[in-house]
Amino acid sequence: MSPAPAPTPVAMPLAGDAAGEFLVLIPAFNEAQRLPNVLRELGTLKEPHRVVVIDDGSRDKTAERARDLGATVLRLPFNLGYGSALQTGYKYAHAAKASLVVQMDADGQHDPRFIPELIAPIRDGSADLVIGSRFARQTSYRMGWLHSLGRRLFQRVARVAGLHVTDPTSGLQAMNGSVLELYSGDFFPSDYPDVDVLLEAFRRGLRIRECAVEMRPGERPSTLHGGLRSFYYVYRLTLALWAGVRAGNTR
Amino acid sequence: MQDPAELEHLRELFLRAPESRATGILAIALSTCLLLTVLYLVRKRRLREEYTPIWITLALIMTVISLRLDLLRALTAAIGAWTPSSTLFFMGELFILWICLNYSIRLSRHTTQLKNLAQETAILRAHLQELSDRNAERDPRDG
Repeated sequence: MSPAPAPTPVAMPLAGDAAGEFLVLIPAFNEAQRLPNVLRELGTLKEPHRVVVIDDGSRDKTAERARDLGATVLRLPFNLGYGSALQTGYKYAHAAKASLVVQMDADGQHDPRFIPELIAPIRDGSADLVIGSRFARQTSYRMGWLHSLGRRLFQRVARVAGLHVTDPTSGLQAMNGSVLELYSGDFFPSDYPDVDVLLEAFRRGLRIRECAVEMRPGERPSTLHGGLRSFYYVYRLTLALWAGVRAGNTR
Repeated sequence: MQDPAELEHLRELFLRAPESRATGILAIALSTCLLLTVLYLVRKRRLREEYTPIWITLALIMTVISLRLDLLRALTAAIGAWTPSSTLFFMGELFILWICLNYSIRLSRHTTQLKNLAQETAILRAHLQELSDRNAERDPRDG
């Protein structure tokens, strides 16, 4: 059997692109209705930034709406899943040598008011990755019992390894170039990145911090943590954690 | 409960029972068919050469077994099975399991490659858009 090929190099940035940019990455799938509001809210952000929307093979006008509102659009030819869409943004940002990246969801769940607080530790060099946590202090956000149970279980696993995070599944995060480089690798999951990804970053010596944020409840129930998928979630994460530990031991 | 000696005698009978001539002919015909189908698919460019060794090898093994059914009986005796047909089924199942795992590995690799390719396409498309926007800004008549 032939060995696995080396990861594909990502397209180089355009000549003249300003390195050290602050990019806001928003993966979106059929979000033509809600995305414009998120982009308008981002317009109130005082920090100079560029919004990059990753259209994950939407069948509606997500890409057109984003472009009309001035965002750079990375349009995937077909639906790859949340994780891969996010990774497309990381690869783009890494190739463009962005120094600061914030990722947030397209459904309006994340409030841009928290971004200055989120990026402060990256700006002052005290952290490589900052997670906007719903649970760093008590908030009004509610989630399903199985999701909650899985989260608690894997949080404990992370704690045993020495990583203290209260909200590993948060879609609101800020990161620097070192994290972008790591997250552009083939280990990054195609569905929802979770504590396995954070543990990999932690093992590589990246400094992870949390920042308490308020999140608005999602307008539609998340399909990821419902029904049979909840079991698959627990199964996949267990396997990913085991594989990560094995890879870490043999590295 | 059967007498062990009686059971052993019964097994010997199974092992020694000669296959009918039709069985041998059918086996040879099937293995030749497989071989010819593989060659035909390669010639029609519907099967890539790199995927053929496994099927050619299988066809050859089937041909050898068809011509030398005594080898199959020896193998049956060696692994402790009762009948050559159950040995064949067992080997067939092992082969199917192995090939499924093999194709899952290939699929996993191709999924990663496809994902990387799609991501690269999206990034390149964005760069192209940026370039054409810049050109349009520089010379609005071209826009």
